[in-house]
Amino acid sequence: MAVDSSAAVRRVPAPLGILLLLALLLLAGAVSVMTGAYPLQLSDIVASLWPRVEADPLAQMVLQDVRLPRLILGLLAGAVLAVSGALLQGLFRNPLADPGLIGVSAGAGLAAVAVIVLGSTVLSGWTAFTGRWALPLAAFMGGSLVTFLAWRIAHRQGQTSVATLLLAGIAINAIAGAGTGLLTFMADDAQLRSLTFWSMGSLAQATWSDIAVAGPWMLLALVLAPLLARPLDAFLLGEPVAGHLGYSVDWVKRAAILLAALGVGAAGAVTGLIGFVGLVVPHVMRQLFGAGHRMLLPASALAGGVLLVAADAAARVVVAPAELPIGLVMALVGGPFFLGLLLRNRMV
Amino acid sequence: MRLGGWVVMLACLLGQANANEAMPRIISADGAITEIIVALSAQQSLVAVDTTSRYPEDVTGPLPKVGYLRALPFEGMLSLRPDWLITSEEAGPEITLQRLQQAGVKVARLPVVDSVTAAVARIRVLGSLTDREPQAEQLALQLESKLALVQQVSAQRDYRPRVLFLLAEGNHGVMLAGRETTADALLSALGADNVMAEVEGYKPVSQEALLASRPDAIIIAETRAGQFRPADWPLLTRLPAWQQGHRLVADSMFLLGFGPRLGEALLAVHDVLPGKQVSVRGR
Repeated sequence: MAVDSSAAVRRVPAPLGILLLLALLLLAGAVSVMTGAYPLQLSDIVASLWPRVEADPLAQMVLQDVRLPRLILGLLAGAVLAVSGALLQGLFRNPLADPGLIGVSAGAGLAAVAVIVLGSTVLSGWTAFTGRWALPLAAFMGGSLVTFLAWRIAHRQGQTSVATLLLAGIAINAIAGAGTGLLTFMADDAQLRSLTFWSMGSLAQATWSDIAVAGPWMLLALVLAPLLARPLDAFLLGEPVAGHLGYSVDWVKRAAILLAALGVGAAGAVTGLIGFVGLVVPHVMRQLFGAGHRMLLPASALAGGVLLVAADAAARVVVAPAELPIGLVMALVGGPFFLGLLLRNRMV
Repeated sequence: MRLGGWVVMLACLLGQANANEAMPRIISADGAITEIIVALSAQQSLVAVDTTSRYPEDVTGPLPKVGYLRALPFEGMLSLRPDWLITSEEAGPEITLQRLQQAGVKVARLPVVDSVTAAVARIRVLGSLTDREPQAEQLALQLESKLALVQQVSAQRDYRPRVLFLLAEGNHGVMLAGRETTADALLSALGADNVMAEVEGYKPVSQEALLASRPDAIIIAETRAGQFRPADWPLLTRLPAWQQGHRLVADSMFLLGFGPRLGEALLAVHDVLPGKQVSVRGR
């Protein structure tokens, strides 16, 4: 299947598109800081950000300890999920590839559920050793380990077979899913609720320390991803052509898998599972800007950040004073949107 | 989005009207705790409840809901300007509770109730938290006297009835109650044995295991009325205990909430245990 199936859709000129996305990002950021169950006035926000003005301490706390970390984590996680999706769609040359395909989400899910269910019994040593980082660290390690396993199966004689990687990913996803199911069966009522909430994702508990721990990895993946833009463009012409153009095909595959696992693993560790961003955002950006990765990767990063921040703002207010899990909002908004896109393309 | 904002604003305005009467503003995040607060006639203090607080419905229905007690929203709760968050040890996430305390909200986390004595103690604690000590004392004494009554009667029995306790949570969600559950605590307070004591917690049911357990009585707790349909459980309804009427289907908050209705729940379960000659009703 060719990645560029969108010739019929009018492209947006690159500089204009990026400017537009930046404007949207600013807007989404502003909306995100302004919205929430706790009523904040513009003056509260200005006062909280201006060190010399006396601010309402509660308003300041809401802004500095709740809304700003949520905004920054949302931007980072949205960007890294979308970029990882773009990398893998390029690698698999398939616009329907998703970071879940290489097992990173299933592995992170299995490890997280294991900590939730077995944290006080079999894994008590792990929870005692890692403290409040037991779950994020386990999720990150689980995601990386499962991805490594899938890659190892697909890697033979210095070559990585993308087709085998895909199939190994599917099999490993099924095994990890079965393990998660088994743990779910063993879970008590309280654990069931915790793991359900984790698998729906949330930015509600974002703290500055989450950002300090997971942020650098996400940033690293975001900064390194553009290095793969040209080799991935060459990949669009087929692996042999990319090799003839002078790129080390195997190195490109390894780097793409590593960056995607790093980014999605780090994001998932602190936010829980958030789907659709990695699938829908690169897909839509490709329709708007074309399949060239030099444009696609930064555009996906910006749009992913915008989408997640906007969805989080909605998650806060729709059922206030309660909150919806953001993964749920993404699926509710993303699913129909994606379907509409497919239907429109079919008519064109 | 805008509608949500208005609802919050409205809630705040209503809240301020309440505050003028110098009553503490309480968010209760636990079904049984809410029920006790209402039983102590302190429901005017409630500004919001969680999704496990469903009884009494005329009180909890109109109140804002702050979601599930293990996933409490910081901003959402703070926006209601509470003085107190009263909840159980099960509440979370930890960071939300810490932040609430930093924001000046008093947070009371009561121990998880796993016995009738703990349920009585919780009523007294809530009495002092809501400044309703006399009402709490009265409620606690009523509960204790009902407990003493059923215990006195069951002590006269020369054997321990074996009881099957099921929890019905929807079409496919019928689970058996094993040891270390509130169902088990209820049975032991009545001097009865749980036939599924070898299982821990609530687990999906095997119809054959039900037949093999040969209980003397069957108790079914429904999370919503009508959730357990006997027609779907032909094997269960063919058990002698069911056919002889040693059965009870009742609301799960009533049976397992261990709130103010615990005394009635004890009597209701006691009444379907075999050995009618020692019934305590109407004494």
